[in-house]
Amino acid sequence: MIVFKIIFGALMIIGTIRFMYFGWIEDHYIKPKFHFKYWGFEWIESLSSHYLYAIHYLMILAALGVMFAQKTLYKLAAIVLFLCFTYTELIDLTYYLNHYYFVSCVCFLLIFIQTPSPLGRAGVGLFGGNVPNWCILALKLQISFVYIYAGLAKINYDWLFNALPLKIWLPAHDKMPIIGTIFTWQITPYVFSWIGMLYDCTIVFFLINKKTRFFAYLTVIIFHVLTGLLFQIGVFPLVMIGATLIFFDWDFLNQTTPSPSLGRRGALFPSSLEGVRNEALSPSFLGGVRGGILIFFFLFQIIFPLRFLCYESNLFWSEEGYRFSWRVMLMEKAGTATFYVKNPVTGKEGIVDNAEFLNSHQEKQMAMQPDMILQFAHFLGNHYQKISKTPNLVHSVRVEAYITLNGKPSKLLIDPNINLMNEKDTFAPKKWILSYK
Amino acid sequence: MQKNIKLILVINLLFLQLFSSCKDKTDITANNFDRKLMLQNYAQKLIKPAFLDLKTQTDILQTATQSFMATPNTANLSALQAAWVNAYSAFQHTNSYNFGVAGEQGLRKSLTEEIATFPVSNTKIDNAITLGNANFSDFNRDARGFLAIEYLIFDLNNDNNLIISNFTTQTNFQNRKNFLINAVTNLKTRIDEVNTTWNGANATFANEFIANDATDVGSSTSQLYNEFLRSFEALKNFKLGVPLGKRAGQTQTEAQRVEAYYSSKTLVMMQLHFKSIENIWYGKSKTEEDGIGFKEYLQSVEGGNALITSTETQLLAIKSALNAIPTSNSVAFQITNSPLLLENLHTEIQKNTRFFKSDMSSLLGIAITFSSGDGD
Repeated sequence: MIVFKIIFGALMIIGTIRFMYFGWIEDHYIKPKFHFKYWGFEWIESLSSHYLYAIHYLMILAALGVMFAQKTLYKLAAIVLFLCFTYTELIDLTYYLNHYYFVSCVCFLLIFIQTPSPLGRAGVGLFGGNVPNWCILALKLQISFVYIYAGLAKINYDWLFNALPLKIWLPAHDKMPIIGTIFTWQITPYVFSWIGMLYDCTIVFFLINKKTRFFAYLTVIIFHVLTGLLFQIGVFPLVMIGATLIFFDWDFLNQTTPSPSLGRRGALFPSSLEGVRNEALSPSFLGGVRGGILIFFFLFQIIFPLRFLCYESNLFWSEEGYRFSWRVMLMEKAGTATFYVKNPVTGKEGIVDNAEFLNSHQEKQMAMQPDMILQFAHFLGNHYQKISKTPNLVHSVRVEAYITLNGKPSKLLIDPNINLMNEKDTFAPKKWILSYK
Repeated sequence: MQKNIKLILVINLLFLQLFSSCKDKTDITANNFDRKLMLQNYAQKLIKPAFLDLKTQTDILQTATQSFMATPNTANLSALQAAWVNAYSAFQHTNSYNFGVAGEQGLRKSLTEEIATFPVSNTKIDNAITLGNANFSDFNRDARGFLAIEYLIFDLNNDNNLIISNFTTQTNFQNRKNFLINAVTNLKTRIDEVNTTWNGANATFANEFIANDATDVGSSTSQLYNEFLRSFEALKNFKLGVPLGKRAGQTQTEAQRVEAYYSSKTLVMMQLHFKSIENIWYGKSKTEEDGIGFKEYLQSVEGGNALITSTETQLLAIKSALNAIPTSNSVAFQITNSPLLLENLHTEIQKNTRFFKSDMSSLLGIAITFSSGDGD
């Protein structure tokens, strides 16, 4: 547990410094004139550059707190880290990444995790103390969800039998040193697709099994290093390589401390579940609340990624139920969205230059995701209404959005005749999205 | 360990299955496209000659300016105007190469923005002349470059005598002379700086450009693609859309915002600009020598041929829409009086945007932004 916290904290610090170093605070949060909001979090606003930097420095301090602090100070650090990180993620939907969501989830769990209680014995140093079993289990569960849902998502026809999108992505890396040429082979994308799927679906079980753990961890390193080299996915590989260390026994660092819990040593699911039950049933009121929150949290984790089942539309096309479901590297999608704003009085329809309001990353993400297109349409409608000579009359906005999915010729995503100002973003199926076929 | 062995067996079986099923599919071609050859073609046959030509024509423009300054008469003015048209025509072929020294660096914008911003601000230029305080390195990009020079040496009504009197007898004529000569010198400095990196005696940039043959952000393919796209969008949005009043928020046409407004060379420049974009698509040199370009690159990937067909059909449509624009009247005049054919041209260009913008980058796996993603 201690090892996990130290590694996780260190990665948070690296990630935060990297973010500031690349000037992403300015590029992501300050320069754009418009931010895409998360559903339910429309009230979150970006702050001025000073505050944003302050928040990032605070995040570094909090990460240090998570690494080294004890008891109340630790709790405080974990809460601050969770709030700060989640806040920066919620500013703009454009930058949504599954691994940021993962980090937020882990930060959330860390709030509830008890710090090892120093037992006051000799030898209890940095690595000393015990953590209840369920704490480790919670983190393992979280990681398991990520892998297993990511694996299940890969079980689709295009991924397995057409090797898409890897067939598009891999040949672009033919100049990579040493291994570059293998990306020009026809078979490579198929091999990578199947390995990727099998890896994601099964790795957790190999990590749980003590006999296979060591080899499984080696594959974790190889897999994530390779994906890190191939794709522009930032610190994610490091996060996963670090996080999966939780599956190891770290008791040897801690040998002088008596280890009262049996389940902890084996760290297998069944015995660990016992731990949760004990904890949840603990008489303490606080423990009860905590247990309740955690049970709710994990139920949400199980159910929310499955919400796509409720929609009839093609998931990759309409993306209804796509986010927060550990769907990573699944499709090559790009779009060109042209917005037409009509003044109700003059009847004149004008074309929008998206780059006037959005940075290139925002435009790219918006152009292929219906809910973002809708948000941007509403922004445009209101913006042009405000600057027009008749600020009380509602403008109409329509979009011509051509989307290409996995290299197929682009098609219209949204009915180009519909006035988007009349549509709202809800969880109900979006009727204005044209069907894929 | 047993589980591991089982897993390996399963994986192997699956691969065998795949190998055998793959053999049946003959439509999948092995991807062995060499981007180096493509970049080499672009560097040697398109970019280097384009900058060399631009430099040569700008030198002539400078000489013509000096002659006109020394003897401001009709003959020298005509020669100066002709030199301007030639130099600005040469520039159209460099429109899409704003990388390397021609790219943005700190406060300095791309070469295109620095030397070809339009519409220019008459007020700023006139003020700078009156006050004699022209500064060619500030933020006023609309008061320098080709189009500022155009404003000084062309008259909307072709009244060359008026131009000559501006440079000989009008108040501040000496300031005006200084402004013109300095504007041309500044233009030449910027162009020379870029040309040296491509064509200079010790130029290494072409080799660096060819060697940088990956597809990530910052690679030559990605930079060229992005500039190619930006140039195409500029043609559509700024050379046509804005003057036609197509932009959201515009309440009417703004004919005076066309490119090359004072010389009325708008249509010629638009044709050349489009030609340069077409050439990049085909990998074709100015002398119609067809080499390896984006088209050939697309041919090498699955689904590429379908995109090539749609794109080239649309490029033809654009071309015929462009050819349909009458040459009898200036584009600015047509925008005010009979904009239909120009609007049609705008529509045809718009139809091609998606092919260049999303379909092409998607098929070729070219990275566009620096930010991390999780694969969409």
